[in-house]
Order: sequence, then C-alpha cells, then structure tokens
Amino acid sequence: MDNDLYKLQRTALDEIQQAESKMALENLRVKFLGKAGAISRLSENMRKLPKEDRPHTGKLLNEIRNAVTAALESRLDTIEAEGTAQILSDIDETLPGTRFRVGGLHPLTLLQDQAVRTFRRLGFALADGPDIETEWHCFDALNTPANHPARNDSDTFYLPDGRLLRSHTSSVQIRTMGAQKPPVRVIGPGAAYRRDEIDATHLNQFNQLEGLYVDRDVSVADLKGTLEYFVRELLGHEVQTRLRPHFFPFTEPSFELDIRLQAIQGGKWMELLGCGMVHPAVFEEINAKRGDSAYDPEDWTGFAFGMGLERLAMSLFGLPDIRLLIENDQRFLAQFAR
Amino acid sequence: MKVSLNWLKEMLPLTRSVPEIVEALTFAGIEVEGVQQPSALFEKVIVAQIESFEPHPNADRLSVCRVNDGSGLPRQVVCGAKNFRAGDKVPLALPGALLPDGVKIQAGKLRGVESEGMLCSSRELKVAEDAAGLLILPREAPLGAPLSDIYPPDTLLEIEVTPNRPDLLSHYGIARDLSALLNLPPAKVPEISAISERVREDPGVVKLEAPEGCPFYIARVIRGIRVGPSPGWLRQKLEAAGLRSINNVIDVTNFVLLELGQPLHAFDLANIRGGIIVRMANPGERLLALDEKEYELHPDDLVIADHERALAIAGVMGGQQSGVATTTIDILLEAAYFNPGFIRRTSRRLGLISESSFRFERGVDPGAVMPASCRAMDLVLEVGGGKADESVVIGGSILPWNRVVEMRPERCNKLLGVKVPDSAQLLARLGLKHAGENRWRVPSYRQDLAREADLIEEVCRMAGIQKIPSRLFGSATESSPSDRAYDDLMQLRQRLVGLGLFEARSLALMDERDLEYTMEPTSNALRLRNPLTEDQKVLRPSLVPGLVRAAERNLNRGSSSVAIFEIGRVFKVATQEESVSLAVLVCGERQSKSWNQGATTFDLFDLKGILKAALSRDLIFFREQPTSFAPLLCGMIDGEGNSIGKIGQLRPSLAKEIGARNPVLVTEVTIAPSANLKRFRYRALDRFPAVARDVAFLADKELKYQSVLDAFGSANEPLLVDVQLFDLFVDPSGEKVPMNKKSIACSLTYRATDRTLTQEEANAAHSRLKSQLVERLGVALRE
Repeated sequence: MDNDLYKLQRTALDEIQQAESKMALENLRVKFLGKAGAISRLSENMRKLPKEDRPHTGKLLNEIRNAVTAALESRLDTIEAEGTAQILSDIDETLPGTRFRVGGLHPLTLLQDQAVRTFRRLGFALADGPDIETEWHCFDALNTPANHPARNDSDTFYLPDGRLLRSHTSSVQIRTMGAQKPPVRVIGPGAAYRRDEIDATHLNQFNQLEGLYVDRDVSVADLKGTLEYFVRELLGHEVQTRLRPHFFPFTEPSFELDIRLQAIQGGKWMELLGCGMVHPAVFEEINAKRGDSAYDPEDWTGFAFGMGLERLAMSLFGLPDIRLLIENDQRFLAQFAR
Repeated sequence: MKVSLNWLKEMLPLTRSVPEIVEALTFAGIEVEGVQQPSALFEKVIVAQIESFEPHPNADRLSVCRVNDGSGLPRQVVCGAKNFRAGDKVPLALPGALLPDGVKIQAGKLRGVESEGMLCSSRELKVAEDAAGLLILPREAPLGAPLSDIYPPDTLLEIEVTPNRPDLLSHYGIARDLSALLNLPPAKVPEISAISERVREDPGVVKLEAPEGCPFYIARVIRGIRVGPSPGWLRQKLEAAGLRSINNVIDVTNFVLLELGQPLHAFDLANIRGGIIVRMANPGERLLALDEKEYELHPDDLVIADHERALAIAGVMGGQQSGVATTTIDILLEAAYFNPGFIRRTSRRLGLISESSFRFERGVDPGAVMPASCRAMDLVLEVGGGKADESVVIGGSILPWNRVVEMRPERCNKLLGVKVPDSAQLLARLGLKHAGENRWRVPSYRQDLAREADLIEEVCRMAGIQKIPSRLFGSATESSPSDRAYDDLMQLRQRLVGLGLFEARSLALMDERDLEYTMEPTSNALRLRNPLTEDQKVLRPSLVPGLVRAAERNLNRGSSSVAIFEIGRVFKVATQEESVSLAVLVCGERQSKSWNQGATTFDLFDLKGILKAALSRDLIFFREQPTSFAPLLCGMIDGEGNSIGKIGQLRPSLAKEIGARNPVLVTEVTIAPSANLKRFRYRALDRFPAVARDVAFLADKELKYQSVLDAFGSANEPLLVDVQLFDLFVDPSGEKVPMNKKSIACSLTYRATDRTLTQEEANAAHSRLKSQLVERLGVALRE
C-alpha cells in the first residue's frame, strides 16, 4: 500500500512538473485532487483497511495531498511568471506614450507672475484699481497739469461721461493711498490703455506693473536697491542696470531704469521702467481728498515705479511683432508651456 | 532736436570726447537718441564750380556739366539735378570718394557719356535732409578746397528733451546745462548790440486783445532789406540742425530759435494793413498757412491779425500771404510770449506741430524774448542790410519773475539716501542764486523748479545717481483682498492649464459688431467717446467674442483643435461695472487618433467636465431659450443657487464661418472675488466598505437625467452615497430599445458610516430606490 502511495505521489509530481500550461495543471489538479481523483479515491478506500493501519495511511495520504497541492501551486507560479515574462518581453517600449493634452499659461501671465512673486518676496502686497477711471485718479491726483497732452482726446480713450480708460496703472497708487494709511508697500499689475494705432510695435492696451512704497525715510537708495534686486531676480545676475534722470509729473526726482543683458537686444542699454520719489504734490492731493494729513510729506516719503510687460516680453523672448501677444495662436502659446 | 557740437563749442570750451559728452547728457536726464558724424566721410569731396552745362545726348533727365575743380584742367561730370545755374559752386565727389551712404564714386560712362565724379546733394552728403537737388555752396567757397573746410567735421546729437525742460530746446540752453554738469565756465551769450532801446506802446501798431493768450509782444520794423540767399555760415548751421534754408530773413528767425530757443516770426510789412492785433480767431475764419494748407480756425485759437484779417496762427505757423518773400523790402519782426496752453490746444486741434509751437507749448523763457528780438535784428541787419526803426513797439508786459524756493540740505540727504555736502555749490552752478538760509532764487529759464523736491532732483542730477547707494530694507505687509483674488485666479489658471487648455489674452476694446458673439447678446455695451478705429468702439461685456476670434485665427491657420480660456475683466452697463470673468472655448479634436485610443471630438459634456474640475464645485445646468448665437444654451447655478454663467454651442453656420468643422462649445462664468482666507477642514475618511448595485431601466426619451437624480434624492436614502451614470443607449431603429425610449444604467454606491453593510441591507436599500424610480418616473426596470 505504502509503495502504491509513493508511486502515486511520484507520478503526480512528475506530471505536474511537466505540465506546460494552466489548463494542463487544472486537469492534473482534477486528476489527483478532484472529487473523483486518485487521492480522493484512495481516501475512500481507507475504510477497507484494517483499523490499525488507518492512522498511518491517513497521515501518509495527507502528506501526499499537501505535496501535490504545493507542487501544483509552485508550478502554476512558474508558468504564470514565464507567461508574464513573455508578455513583458513582447512589449515595444518605443511605442509612443498616450497623448494627454498639455496647456500653458500666456507668456505675459508668466512674466507678470514672476515679477509679482519677486516683489512679494520683498514684502509687497497686491493692490488693484478699476480700468475705467476718473480723470482725477488718473491725472489730477498725479500732479498732471490740466493742459497735459496725455489728457487729450487724441492720446487717451474717454467714455461719454468723462471718465477714461486709465492711461497708466499709476492710478492704483492713488486708489491705495485713498483707502489706507501709510506705510504702504504694494504692487498693482493691470491693464492700461493708450489711443495708439495698433502695429508691429504698438498696442492700444498693455500690461503694466505698478509699485508704491511709502514709509518713513524711504529714499532714492531704497528705490535703487529694490529695483536692482527685482531686475536681478527677473533676469539673472549678469544683468547690468543704470538709473537715468527723467521726468514724470508725479515723481520728483524721476528716473528711468535701463538694463543691459547680452540676451536682450545684443547687450544694448534698454529702457525697462520709469520710477521716482513720490511727488509731494501727490501726497498733498491725497490728503485733501482724504480730509486728513495721513500722508504728510514731511513725515512720509515714498517711491513709485511702473513697468510695461509687453516691451520686456518682446525683448526677452525675441518677438518680432507685439501682436503675437494678442493673437492667441496656440502654436505660439505652446512655446511657453515647456 | 539736433544739436551740433561745433555750435556748442562756439559757446563752451568743450574738450571732452563725444562718448563722454553723451554720457554726461544721459546721466543728466537728457537722452541722446543718436550720434551722427556726417563730415567724417568727406574725403575726396571738394568744392567745384559748374562752368557750363548742356543736355545729355541720350537722356532727357541728365545734364553734362563742365566743371572747374580748381586744378586748371576741365572736368566733365554727368548730373541728374536741375536746381543749378552756370557759375554755381557745388560739392564734387572725385573718383575714389566714399559717400556717407556707402556709395563709392568711380569714373565711367553714364548712358554713353564720360563722367569723372559726381555732383552731390545735401542728402547724399548727409549734411541735411533736403534733397531738392545739388547742394549749392556759398559763392566765396574756394575752388578745389576740401568740402570739410566748408563743412568742418561736426558731430550731431539727436536729443530727446523731456517736456519739463523747454530751457534745453536750444544750443545755448544745452551749453548752459553742460557747463553746469561738467563744471565749465558759463556758456557764452552771443553778443547782442542793443541798437534801439527806445520802447513805446502804440495800440495802433500792436494791440493785445487776448492778453491771457499773449501777454507780451515786441514788434520791430526793419526797412530796406535785400531778401536773398543766406551766407554759408547761416545755411550750414540751419542745415546741420535739420532745417531748410529759405531766405536770409526767415533763416535768421530760425537761427535765433535754434540758438536761444525763442521762436520769432517775420512779416512783410507791406502786407500788414493797419497794425498788429493779437486776438482770438473769429468763428469760421480761415488762413492759408506757410505749409500751403488752409486751416479753419476756431474761437479758441490765438491769431496774429492786422486790422482786416488773420495773418498767422499765433506761435504755430505764419500765413502764406504775409510771409517774407524775395519781393519783401520792409519787415515787421515779431517776438512774443504765448501762453503754452493756448498754443498746445491749437497745435493739437489742427494736428500742426512746428518748431515754434513745440517750444511755445512747453514754455519759452520770458526773460529771453527781448534779447532774442535784439539778436534777430542784429542778424537781419548783418545778412540782409536795411535799417531798423528808431523805436520798438511793445504790447503788454511780462510779470516780473521772482521765484524763491527753499531746499533744506538735510531733507535732500534724507530723500536721496546719501549725504551731498556740496549741494549748495551744485545749485549755484545751475544758475540759482542763494537768497538767504536754504533759499534759492530760480532763474526765469527754469520755470520747472517750483518746490523743494525739484531742487533735490537737480542736486541728484548734478551729484550723479551713481553716488547713491542701494538699500534693501522694509517692513512686512499684510496681504490684501487683491492678494487673495490674485492667488485664486492663478490657481484657476493652473488648473485649466492642467486640463490641457491654453491661456488666451485679448484686448478689452472690441468690435461692436462682435457683440452678437456672446451668450447674453446685448447692444448695451460701454462705449468710447473717442474711439480710434471702427473695430474698437466698445469695451467687452464678455470674453467670448475674443475667444471666438482667437478660435477663428487658429482654425484658419490649420489647427485641428482649439482649447483656450481667458480670465479677464469684462465691462457692463450695471452698478457692478467691472468684473472678472472666465471663458472657455473648445472645438475639434479632444484626442487625436492614436495607436492605443480612438479620436474623439470635444462636446458639451467635455466642457461641463472641464468647468467642474476647474471650479471644483457642483453646478446645476438648466436649458435656456436658444439664441441666434447659441441654439443650445444652458444657464448654470452653483450650490447656493446663484446664477454664475452660461454654457452653449455655437450656431453651426457661425461655426462654419470661423472655420470649424466640429461643434464649437463655449462657456463664460463670473468669478466672484473671494472675500475670505481659504480654510480646509478634515472630514473623517470612510472606514467601512461600500457595496455597489446597478440599476437599468427604460425611460421616455424626453426624460432628463436630472429627474433621475432628483428621484434618487427624494428617496432620502441615508445609505446611498454615490450615483454614476454608466450607460445610456438609444436605438434609432427601435430594435433593441423602442424608438421613443432610452435605456439608462446607473451604478449606485451604498455605505454606512458606522458598520460594514450586510448584503441584505444593501439589497433592501436598492429595492427601495428602484421602486422610487418606478413610482416617480414611471420607468420600466430592466432586470
């Protein structure tokens, strides 16, 4: 009996070892372990054995059942592993990946956000104002003479009610100081409008970044340090800067900041932004409007600046035509999505 | 403005190199836009005389000239100009000469006739812009002399003067500032002989009827002048500065303008009837100006008139009829001060900007009117002869200039952020006179210096900005609502980009005719009073028209799909005039055909999905009345029941018009500013497993899916946590599903928060929901 059992085990293990497929293994499982299988049948036959032999044979049968089960499982793992290996080796890893749509931010948004993040690092908060402004906010409060050419119908867009589309974001300075007491440390990104013909280098609407810092003892040295930091952060440490005296009605002294970088216009000095110390007349106008003396020019000084983003984008990205920035050609936009 | 360095050197011992001068000007706030050195390239260009000329045998437009080049040997040159006479002296470029424009002169045949060199125009030599013909040189120019003797090597600086500095609009003005900047001796004032100091008022000769526009007028009469060509030195100075020589009298007025910055005008005395009246123009009055155009004047325009008619547009341009011509014998020389505002208004209105108006509208030095008048008289007598009347007639007067401004050195140091110990010396160099402690008397030519900050700027300019250190320091700032709004919008942008969309940016001014390209068509947009072009008359009330135009551009350029969004301001005739809006447009391939996925095109549900993912909130959509723009149009409300925008599909014919072969879907949503800081709260994660059960049923074709959701909702089944539609089927043939029905299959998820659901519990809940469906919607369950 024992011999028969051992022989059965050997046969089963041999056959399992030679099985080549899951199907063959399943057949073997049925053949040996199934209800009508060889081992089951032997178990049935146990009743015919003498009582004293039964424990021994039972134990043996159990061992054989376990061994066959283990062999089946092990062989199945092997067959599966071989199958998977085949499937994996059949994969052509050079096939293209699934295509997902990739979008992108507009280059002006990228540039603006980079500038915003830089000033935020310095502790500037954001400020805002309407595109449709009063003449007071856009000109009067900014110390612009009543007969200044910028106020002309030929230069600025007006609404029938006498309000206008702000010709610069400097009106945000006025909005901010009208609403809060000093100290003030804000930047205001936004749109400005000029009544210009649209061509390869002009738009009648453009994006500016306005800045204002009013505190006790703010000086030209602060203006210089802040703007130099900003330019370095934006364009890298190779960039050179210089301040040139200039004229704006709402700052005194006024300057223009020029930059020089090999990557921009071949290293020629390029005007980047206008800036200056807030004109005391602006503070006085704000105080009159506020009805207090929160911005007493004897106590508070400040600097302001305004930068156009389109010109910088054109130089920085090498755009031949400013209109690329408003055409929204997806091939153009995709170039900035990397 | 063009500035000649040679001219400056006549006033100032200027020994610095050109780059040093350019840098000094640049850092003083005087922008140098260009540097020209015309006569550097005059090699082999000499003075020659045309002895005779005859027509070219083979070319009507050419002449063959016999030229004396001073060598004694005759020279033949073919020439295309017509403006010369025999005996004229002209520049001759000899073979081998290189002209400033790069042309190399060679001897050779022109249409078969030998030509040994070239006779040059002023433009070819870059000495002036005028190209009316050959440059006719002064009679006294020595034959054979190098042209550079006549036009000595000069450097011309193209200077941009800021509007606050009219004192720099002359050579003397620039010399005065340079002398201060470079610490040179004071610029030399030209010697002015005060021939007639007898000044009288005579309303019969000069009457000021608009003293606000013209407070001061000087009329000098010079009789017996010989009007003719100007001497070489005068022409050369004008031409260097870019002006054309006309005749000696007019040239003198222009010379003084370039020299001292005071515009002048000369009238032919014979054409003045009665005397001069400075008045406002009469309505409808017309004037033929020197530019040969007729202008219709306005009662806002200041004119110089005689007793019968307007003679000149004051400060802007003289009249054709009263101007100085070769027949003129006696002149009236005008020097005046005009109110800048008046001149600017007229100049803008007429679109007429002249050298005069440019200076008057910025403000000339009131103290220089009389000296300039004398200077011009001297020069007219010098170059035109004649005799000046004994007395000068003036009208009005100039208020005495007496401005004193305080500048505290410590305030200056504080504002500049650097100690400037010699600020007083710097101000003195600029011509300010010390008038007691910290007080400075401002000269009349510096009307821009009105208060302390202006003087501090002067100190900064003189001391040099390079001396100011850089400082980086500041207090912390509280974030503002604008900060939160900015962050929200950037996050929204990033999400949309993550969903595969490109950000577009369009102009806020749009074509009125495009107003129909919106989901809320309106003709009530905010309009400009003074649009520049027909296609930009209104402010956009919606971002959709801009995206439609952008889509059109992309499709016409061959793009197979468009997926763009814009976040920007829109403008409405409403109390809330400006608001921020998000618009999305998708059209065409969502996925292009690929080896592992089929091609799909964008549809309404893609756009719904994009909105939901981008805004991360549940929106309820309801059908609205179709419009001609969007025959499929839905409104959207958010969870709080606020209407937030619309979504729709473009009219097919319109889609076709913009080049789309697939449906064009658009949506626009108003973005409310987020008032508060965004806060997150943790909610316990589900701990017990969920049980899923499907339900399939046949419903009327018209049944909206929202009704199915509502039916589930109305059951108030606490165990139901999710419903997903996974199959929707209609069969137009009616075979599998009757034609008026549709088959809907949903997967329902059940879960309890406090225990593992038993199969029995899940089944019971599922049966309740199924019967709810049947009861409320009358659908037929498919088992």
